[in-house]
Formats: sequence, C-alpha cells, structure tokens
Amino acid sequence: MENSLMFDLSMMMAKIVVILIGTLGVVPVMVWFERRGAAWMQRRVGPNRVGPFGLLQPLADVVKFIFKETFIPKEANKFYYLMAPIIALIAPLCAVAVIPFGSKAIINGQEVVLQVAQMDTGVIFILAFAGLEVYPVILAGWASRNKYSVLGALRGSSQIVSYEISMGIALLSMLVVYGSFNPHEMVSWQQGSLGFLPRWGAFVNPIGALIFWISIFAETNRLPFDLAEGESEIVAGYHLEYGGMKFAAFFMAEYVAMIMASGLLATLFFGGYGLLPGMEHLVSMVANHFGFGDVGLQNTKAAFEFISFATKIAFFMFLFVWIRWTLPRFRFDQLMDLGWKILFPISLINLVVVTIGVYYFNS
Amino acid sequence: MGTINVSKKYTAKEKAYLPAILIGMKITMKRFIQGFLFRKHDTIMYPEKKRDYSDRFRGMHFISVDKNKTENCTACYLCETICPAECIHIVADERDEEHNPYGVKKEKKPVSFDIDALRCCFCGFCEEACPKDAIKLSGNYELAVSSREEAIYDLDHLKRDMNGRREK
Amino acid sequence: MSNITEFDIKKPKVDLNYASDKKPVHSDPNPEAKPLPKVTIDGKTYDFKPGDTIMQVAERYKVHEEIPRYCYHPGMPIAGTCRMCTVEVEKAPKLMTSCSTPAADGMVVHTRSDKVMKSRTGVMEFLLTNHPLDCPVCDKAGECELQDYNYEYGPGTSNFKEEKRVFEHATTKKLSDKVTLNMNRCVHCERCVRFTDDVTKTNDLVMVNRGWHKELEATTEAGLTNEYQGCLTDFCPVGALTWNDFRFKKRSWFLNRKPSLCDGCSKGCNIEVHSDSEIVYRYVPIYNELVNGHWMCDAGRSSYTSYTNPLRVIAPLMKHNDALHSTSIQTLLTDLQVHLKNAASIQLVVGTDATREEAALLKEKVPTIIGKNIAVSYFNGTNGVQTSADDKKLDELLKMKDLTPNTKGVEEQGLSPLANGEVNADIAILFRNGRAGIPKMKADQKVVLWGIWSQDELKSFPSKNILGVIAGLATIEKEGSYKNADGIVQKFHPAITHKGGALSAHQVVGVWKTLN
Repeated sequence: MENSLMFDLSMMMAKIVVILIGTLGVVPVMVWFERRGAAWMQRRVGPNRVGPFGLLQPLADVVKFIFKETFIPKEANKFYYLMAPIIALIAPLCAVAVIPFGSKAIINGQEVVLQVAQMDTGVIFILAFAGLEVYPVILAGWASRNKYSVLGALRGSSQIVSYEISMGIALLSMLVVYGSFNPHEMVSWQQGSLGFLPRWGAFVNPIGALIFWISIFAETNRLPFDLAEGESEIVAGYHLEYGGMKFAAFFMAEYVAMIMASGLLATLFFGGYGLLPGMEHLVSMVANHFGFGDVGLQNTKAAFEFISFATKIAFFMFLFVWIRWTLPRFRFDQLMDLGWKILFPISLINLVVVTIGVYYFNS
Repeated sequence: MGTINVSKKYTAKEKAYLPAILIGMKITMKRFIQGFLFRKHDTIMYPEKKRDYSDRFRGMHFISVDKNKTENCTACYLCETICPAECIHIVADERDEEHNPYGVKKEKKPVSFDIDALRCCFCGFCEEACPKDAIKLSGNYELAVSSREEAIYDLDHLKRDMNGRREK
Repeated sequence: MSNITEFDIKKPKVDLNYASDKKPVHSDPNPEAKPLPKVTIDGKTYDFKPGDTIMQVAERYKVHEEIPRYCYHPGMPIAGTCRMCTVEVEKAPKLMTSCSTPAADGMVVHTRSDKVMKSRTGVMEFLLTNHPLDCPVCDKAGECELQDYNYEYGPGTSNFKEEKRVFEHATTKKLSDKVTLNMNRCVHCERCVRFTDDVTKTNDLVMVNRGWHKELEATTEAGLTNEYQGCLTDFCPVGALTWNDFRFKKRSWFLNRKPSLCDGCSKGCNIEVHSDSEIVYRYVPIYNELVNGHWMCDAGRSSYTSYTNPLRVIAPLMKHNDALHSTSIQTLLTDLQVHLKNAASIQLVVGTDATREEAALLKEKVPTIIGKNIAVSYFNGTNGVQTSADDKKLDELLKMKDLTPNTKGVEEQGLSPLANGEVNADIAILFRNGRAGIPKMKADQKVVLWGIWSQDELKSFPSKNILGVIAGLATIEKEGSYKNADGIVQKFHPAITHKGGALSAHQVVGVWKTLN
C-alpha cells in the first residue's frame, strides 16, 4: 500500500512536470513562431539575429523582461493589480490538467492514465477555469487606474461573456452526442470511422465545431477578436500599465490559453489523443519490429497517442497564428453582431437539431 | 442636403464571410510557404546590405573641398537665405592672405557653418542656390544620433571626405 | 523718409550745392509772369526750372523708376562719364547724357526707346567685361547698382572671351583702417574721387593710369584721412569700396531698414538703422536737405557700437552689500525711494542727450514723486561745451563741437546749466544716455545713475557711492524728438525693439508713481 502511494505520487509528479514543460515550454517556441511566421506571411525576414534562425529571440526577450524596471502605477490598487497576471497564468494551466494527452501507459505493471486530474466532470472543470479568464482582464483593467485599461477591460469582459454563451451551447451539443462529461469517454467515442472519415466530433457536428472554434478565438483574445488589447485604438488595453515580468505573465498566459483551447478543441471535436488515421498500422509495425509484448504495445500506442495529440494541438496553434496574420480586427459592433445575432441563434438551432438527431439514432 | 448613403448591398456570398476569409488565408499561406521554404522576402538584411538609391537621392549635406582641403564655400549666405527650414547658420570672416592661394575667389570664408539636421527638410534648395557648388547633398541617410546636440553638424563634419554622393 | 515734423521759423541757409530740389514746379499764378519752359519726356509734357538737366526734370516728376546712372550723384558735380544715363533727344544726332544735358524749351526726350535700351545694354556689357562677378563674396550684393541695372538692362550674356584683368595688389587693399578697396570690382564712375575733391575738399583719392589699368589710389602714404569715408562706401555703385566695420558681418538682404536720428553730435543727421533680429549692424545716412544732405560723418556712423556694447547696463541694478545686483525696477525704485526721502538735498542732472520729452518729464515729475524740492539742471560736458552758445561747426560739412544731440532742446525746457559743472548735494540723480559727459563731484558723492551706462563708466565711481542704476533706452530704441544745433526739431520712432530689461523714462516714472 505504502509502495503504491509512493508510485501514484511519483507518477502524478511526472505527469505534472510533463504538462508544465509541455505547455510552458511551447510558449517561447510559439513566440518565436508567431514572429517569424508573421514575417514570412508578410514577406519579411523576421527576427533572425539571436541564435540560429533567431531561435534564441524569446530567451533574449525574457532577459529583457527580467531586467526591466518593476513599476506599479501610483494610483493602482496594488493587490488586484498584482493578482491579475497570476490568475491569467494559473487559470488556463489548471484547465490543461484535465485534458488527457494519451489513453494509458503501463509502468511497473500498473496502469497510468495519461491525464493529470482524472475526473468524471472534466469538461465542466475546464469550462469553469476557462470562465475564470475574464477576471484577469477585468482586474487588470480596473486596478491599473487607466482610462485605456478600463476601456480594454470593458471590451474584453463583454466580449468573453458574449462568446462564452455560444461556446457553451456548442459544447452542449457535443455533450448530447457523447452523453458524458469525461474526456476519456469522449475520445473513445470518437474512435472508429464514418465511411472514409474518422468518427470525429467535427464531422458528426460540423456547425458546432465551427462555432466552438470561432468562440475560442474570442475567449483567448486572439485576432480578429483582440479588442481588449486593440493597440491601434487603446494602446495596449487592459495590460497597458504592466511591464517587465508582469507583462510577460500576461504574454505567457495568452499562449497557455491557446494551448488549453487547442487541446479542448482537439479533445471535443478532433478525436483527442486518438491516433491519427493510418497510425494504427504504424503502432503495430513498430511493436512487431521490436518484438514488444502486450505491455510494450500499449506503451508504444500511448507514445503515438501523445504524438497525435501534440500534432493536433500544433496544427490548431498554427491555425491561430495563420488567422491572426490574415484577418483584421473586428469593429466592436460587428463583434457583438456576430456573437449575438449569428453564432448564438445558429448554435441554438444546431443544439436542437443535434438533440433530435441523437434521439433518432439512439432509438 | 441629406446624407447620401453610399453603402453597397452585399450579396449572400459576401455576407457569409467565410469564402472571403478562406481566400485571405490562401494568400497568407502562399506567402508563408514562399517565405519559409523558398526564402522569398521583400525586405533586405539592412545594415549588412543596403539598397541602391538613385543618385538624385537627397541625404545629409557635405561641403566640397579643393585639393588643399579648403572648403569651396565663400560664406555668401545664399543657402541660409533660401533655406525654408532656417536650419543653416553661417558666420563669415575674412580669409587670411596666406591661406588664400586662389586670389579674389576666396577672400571670404565661413568661420562656422552649422546645419541643424533636425530642422532640415532635405529639400535641396541650398544645393541649387550655392554659386560655388560648395554645399551638396550626399546619399547618406543614416542620421541617427543619441542627442539633439549631435544633430547639429559643424564645418569639420560637413567637410568630410566624399566620393561623389557616396562617403569614402 | 524725412523725419522733420517741426521747423524753426528761421530756416538754415543751405550753403552746399549738393542738395537737389525734388519738388514739382508750379507755374507762377501771376499772369504777367513769363510762362515756364516745357519739355516732353516719353510723350508727356512737364514744366521745369531753367537750368534743370533732363535727369533732374525726370527725377522731379518721377518719370519711370529712374534713369540709370553710375557717375551722377545729386550731391556731387556732374561728370557725364559712365554713359549709362543716355537718352534719345529728337533732332539730336546722337544719344545725350541726361545728367549733363540741360533741358530746353520744346525738347522731346525718349528715355526708353529701343535705341536707348540698346545703348544701355551695350554699356552694361562693357562694364561687365572686367567685373569679377564675385557677388557671393561681395558685401554690396543685394544693394548693388550694377546688379540692379544689369538685371534690368543687361544683355544676360557676354561676347567677352578673354581673361578678365585682375589687380593682384588691389583685391583687398586697405585704403584706411575704415575702408577696403577691391579694384577688380570698380566700374570707374569716379564718384569717390569727386567726393573727396568737391565735397570734403580733402583730395584724398585719384585715378591713376588709363584704360584697363585705370586704378584708384590714395594721394598720400597715409591713405584716406577725411572724416566722411563711410559715404564713399554708401555711394560706390559696386562693391569696390567697402566699410570695414560692416564687412562680412551680414548680407544686405537680411537687414531691416528703419529711419532714425544719429545722436553723435548736435547736427542730428537723418539715418537709416540697419538691423537684423534687433541687432544693429550699421547706420546709413538718408537724404535730408535741411540737415545733413546726403552725408554723415564716420564718428556718427560708428556710434551705434556704444548701444551694442556688451558692457552696457541693460537691467536695473541695485546696491546690496556695496555691490550692484540686477533686480526688478519695482524693487530698485522702492529701495531708492527710501534713500531719496531721507536725503537732505537732491540734485537732478539731465544730460543734454535726453530727448525733449524726457527732459520735460524729469523736470516735472521727479520732484513731485520724491515729494521734495529738487534742483534740476542740465549738463553737457563734451568737448568743453557747456551751453549751446559754445557749440560751433568743426568743418565745412557736418561735424559739430557739441557731441550731444539735444542741447538746444533741453535749454528750451527752461533748465539751467549745472553751476561750475559740479554736483553738490547729498544725492545726485544723473540722467544721461551715453553721450553727455559725467559732471565733476566730490569723492563721497552718492549717485543714482539713470539712462545708458556701461560697466566701464560705473567703475569710475567708488562702488559704495552708487545707490542704483536705472537702465534706459537708446535713441534708436525709443521715441522722442531732438532740437539740433540749427534749431530744427526732429521727431523719431523706435528703429529696433530693446530686448533687455531697460525701460524708457516714461515707463520708469509710471512705475515710480505707483510705488507712492
């Protein structure tokens, strides 16, 4: 028993480390890619001075952030001012904990579920922490005592609240399909195929997937929905008064939130850690080649599942960057129009249609 | 006079947004691939590589010198007179007899000749006005300085070695 | 141009022959009188005085702008050498020089016919054969008659292919310490030679050699010695003669030109103050037939330096711990008022360089403000002059013995001269604008200095004796009037704006009144 507890504990620590390194480690890569990718899309060269291909540019940025003056505005509410970046960073990190990145590995004869926090209500947990994302925006904007910050905060909060509704309904339509809150069950539901297509949520409920996808752009404050920052109108919006590492926290939080959102999107609509089409053969080939037994086969499968999941996340991250450098920012009334007049009714209708469909198929 | 509404009616396709977004994404993806795989850029690696500007490009001024390194300027004030930005400031004086190897042509000299590059609008009128072809505009466009005082160029700086419009 | 607003009844006798009368001629209303002769110029008929030349008739009626001329100058005898002023006279076989041809009754003159213009073009081309065209270097550029006439009449091109002649030894030849000659630029109009011959009668200059080698030289080893050398540089139509004091200081087109009065002596020559950004660069005489004609002396021409002197006090100074410190006029006057109220006797000495208005103001207001009976007197003290009776001419032209501008004007205000030229009171207020002398005084005489003083002049007083210095305005900076030696009252307006902390006497008195 003692032994088993130690094993569980160490496994848990290992998973946390993997997730932390995975999410936080992706941030500098994404920063680099965002800048160079933007450059390529705009026919520029981009940052290429620090290190090979400019890969050390994020490191240079970090050094710069660390050595910046720590500055707190005189009139700011210090507690909330300092709280905002912390919440901004922690909320999406917590949400990531519930997203499974593989089915299970067998280590020391024991099964290890590749998910930090195994809970049946996983999706609700994610929604709860994703909902927290509105707080840093409001807190930062209000506590900075700056007109631009307040404007950014107001914009950001109304935008996030508006899009959370259509996002929730889109999610609801998928819950109807899966009949479960547990991410593992969702993934396993998505195994198999629909004719020549994999049985992914996106193909079962394409409108829901589209709405969800659009909504996570708004939730993460990414272009074309970055009205909370809106450099050209309100300088830097809610994080205008933040500098140095405090700004870096907001900066990192944006990317962590992107990873979280991508993971959620992959889990809900794109088969989660489910193997990419054609990968099953690869798994058995590798296992046969090395002569693995059942345990080895399962572990190989877990590794390939992780790779599939990472690939999906990478694709969605790329999509984030790609969209950002393609579309201009919405006007605020357009943003509200889109959220309330288009996405909201469509998602409602979609929910009804999906519910009827599920009822029909199940009976 | 009422307001004239010039907004156009959108077609259903235009209203759907998505096709237009996809076209845009296609373009950026094309650019991305060109930049990523084929290294096609419209920009250049600036400090190492510089663009060729036309010979008529108007950059920072210089004052041409004769073979004795004496400035051709005779402090006639025509550049100061024509300058629309009032950025040229000259103080004139008599040139010493011994430093006057060309007789009449150089009896007057500028004691100080300052150009405030921050005020200058690089119109080139001074170059046109100069009767001695003394003040000219070089091709030098790298004028960054770390203080305002440094942007006021004196006679010694303006007399720097030039090869046509290019710095030697 | 003329600043004359008031005249004495007795007009001064104009005994110089250079003044040209530009007033139109009117027919005598008396029907018995002989009708005036008439001349037709460019299609219009004009009356003229017998003896007028064509040029004078044209000037009188302002036919066109002017007839171009180099050698002709209204203040000098006619030479007729430059051939620039030639006009076509009907029935005359050749073009006539308008400066030397007397107008005749019934004469028909064309000043702008093709023939005349062609002649002027030819003259210009010849004048420019040897002119170096170094306008960028030349101080005359911008006010040069050669430039102006060449622009108007010149050919634009030249057929002259040969080397220009250069006077190697006379490119920058100092004729004196005041005037520099550049012989290359000379067009041989000989105005300068005639000026020294006939106006100053010093015969300083002469043309030697002939043709291309004709060259201006001083007649004596000492070079130019007369007192009116500045006039040479004024009327030299080109930049051959330049005024050393102004040489290379400023280009002429930057200068603001405002009329004013020279306060260097009791003559009161009319001048034009040339300044840029409120800095005076030179004085130039302007024509006033009744006072100075066309000229002014060199001493007056350089007199602006005492106003641009960096040592001039241009802020109110107050004594504190036996040293003078600049302060505001209110502080200074409040401090002085205490001293003056406690003084047993006060004497106000007005220099004869005060304007008439200032003298009247001081005499009237200062005793009332201090609230005491104050002895007010005037003091001249230059060249041994005490009153205007001591004043006399120093030469044939303009120079006067009295070196202050307004002795007669101050006397007119009913002030009496300072007895023995010595102040004798507890506190003496010395009002002086830098021209009048400083009266004698005892070693511990307390003084209040008012007007224009330089730091050097302050040093002549023991520092503990100066209670305060009220900085005043110079003639060119203020408004007022002077009565000159001939009794002519001339009013003037500010030519430049004072940029320092000095105040006019009216402003000081205005502040002083409010302190009581």
